[in-house]
Amino acid sequence: MKKIVTATALLLASTALAAAEGELQLYNWGNYTSPDLLKKFEEETGIKVVVTDYDSNTAALAKVEAGGSGFDLVVPSANYIPIWIEKGLVQKLDDSKLANKGNIAPEWVNVPWDEGRQYSVPWQWGSVGVAVNTSVYKGDINTSDIFLRVPEELKGKINVVPEMTDVLNMAIFNVGGEPCTEDTEVLKKVRDLVVAAKADWLAMDYGATEKLSNNDWAASVNWNGSTMRARLANPDVAFGYPREGYPLFMDSVALLSDAKNVDNAYKFIDFIMLPENAAMISAFARYANGIAGSAEFMPEDMKTAPEVVTPEEHAKAGRFLPTCSQKSQEYLTAIWTELQK
Amino acid sequence: MADRSFEVARLPGFRSIALTAFVLLYLPIITLVVYSFNAGQSVAVWEGFSLDWYTTAWENEAVKGATYRSLLIAASASAIATTVATMAALGTTRRKAFKGQTFIYVMINQPLMVPEIVTAVALLIFFASIKVATGYNGLIYLIIAHAAFCIPFAYLPIRARLEGMDLTLETAAADLYASHWQAFRFVTLPLMLPGIIAGAMLAFVISLDDVVITEFVKSGGQDTLPTYMLGQMRRAITPEVNAISTVLLALTVLLLTAFFLLTRKKD
Repeated sequence: MKKIVTATALLLASTALAAAEGELQLYNWGNYTSPDLLKKFEEETGIKVVVTDYDSNTAALAKVEAGGSGFDLVVPSANYIPIWIEKGLVQKLDDSKLANKGNIAPEWVNVPWDEGRQYSVPWQWGSVGVAVNTSVYKGDINTSDIFLRVPEELKGKINVVPEMTDVLNMAIFNVGGEPCTEDTEVLKKVRDLVVAAKADWLAMDYGATEKLSNNDWAASVNWNGSTMRARLANPDVAFGYPREGYPLFMDSVALLSDAKNVDNAYKFIDFIMLPENAAMISAFARYANGIAGSAEFMPEDMKTAPEVVTPEEHAKAGRFLPTCSQKSQEYLTAIWTELQK
Repeated sequence: MADRSFEVARLPGFRSIALTAFVLLYLPIITLVVYSFNAGQSVAVWEGFSLDWYTTAWENEAVKGATYRSLLIAASASAIATTVATMAALGTTRRKAFKGQTFIYVMINQPLMVPEIVTAVALLIFFASIKVATGYNGLIYLIIAHAAFCIPFAYLPIRARLEGMDLTLETAAADLYASHWQAFRFVTLPLMLPGIIAGAMLAFVISLDDVVITEFVKSGGQDTLPTYMLGQMRRAITPEVNAISTVLLALTVLLLTAFFLLTRKKD
């Protein structure tokens, strides 16, 4: 019993010390923060960054919303940022404390979820496309027809990741609709298209990096960073950017309204907007970062990776998905439910 | 007399069903352990034997911190849970049956019946208001939460042990002029000790494994091994996770073996 009391006392003491000075609480996706980046930040500023993991936007939101979480910075996905802002959970950034804010690449400044970057700065971004084993299928891979009108060679060999919003919006783009549409004509086409295509799918599952590497799947709807890792293990794998339109995603850093280490948080936000530091983030998690000039600091295999550096001709087909309206959510869920049967 | 030759194990299909069950139970675990020794980046493509991922995990500060925290929480929580469970077991068994006994059993075993996510959300909301009011964010919340859901796991083996001990034991000790304390110290406690140890170890393992409640209750920098591993899911899973799981598995097997040996001894 004495031991427990001592241990408890020590715990109390250590957390009391930690809260004092030189600390920053970062709440981020698991395995997403480069340890080298944190080391460099600590060497330069003396501030120790404590990272805590989450594995979904909803879990992070629920935890912070409950209050008293003790975190300073959070890294939500694009379509969740408006929710954080609306609920007053994140605070407006004071640009006078962010000398490097000008480094944000122009295309990432006026983003639909945070016009003018008043609340958030880029962490990493990527795209959802189709990964194809080119030894199995030699045709054009830059089209969502790969999984919506499956070519003969890929029938029964293709996977579709079970991400409702991404998959169904790619189908909406394929039939020429707008993301989160409420147009029932378009949605009917989408429904018929995916239900018919499903007969040719092998699976609806995660784990594409592995299954593409070991040739279990000849193709998959997949994320670009994951496809890059699959290609490094299996050179036949290539990433296609559907020309009909494909979803982009971005996670951005935001400052919590109840942050305790606000000054340290500003130092960190400014720090990650320097190109050489942003490159460290990318080198670890293997996604692009949205800071201009960071490419030259990236590892060699990323500078040239066609999955990370979007080829010019495919860039304009990439689109951010807005936060869908309640009505369109219901339509999409209905289609998705039918697809799962 | 019933037909002595009847045994469930001799029913047709028993053997094949049992074998299938064992294969399904253990094959994934064996695969996990095997791939922890993979030389490559993948958890599905074998590229030769190596201990690299154990080294990587060992050198990973986040893993080390999480391991330390997991063990500290499990040790503290199982100590508290076992103490409470021992007292509860004594109170509910070393006496004649009483009114409301079943109700008390249900109360004590509540964490076994309420879905874990319900407890987790309730604790999140409850602790959040305390955290806001006090500004204190230490590990103590996790320890209390873990101790709470570990109590039934510690309680059940201790109660089982006590129920197997005759109520007249203490009376006999009293007849021989033992004081209440002496009767407890020299008769009851030594006899129930295997149950206490078994309960403590079960509680320890349960705390070590917990994900849902920990995920909701943890504050900044309080990832435990399971929540750390869960966090890896969004990006590529490397054999590092296999290596950590293997170590965790070895630890669990060790404790369960000890549990088995201790409970077997005197029956």
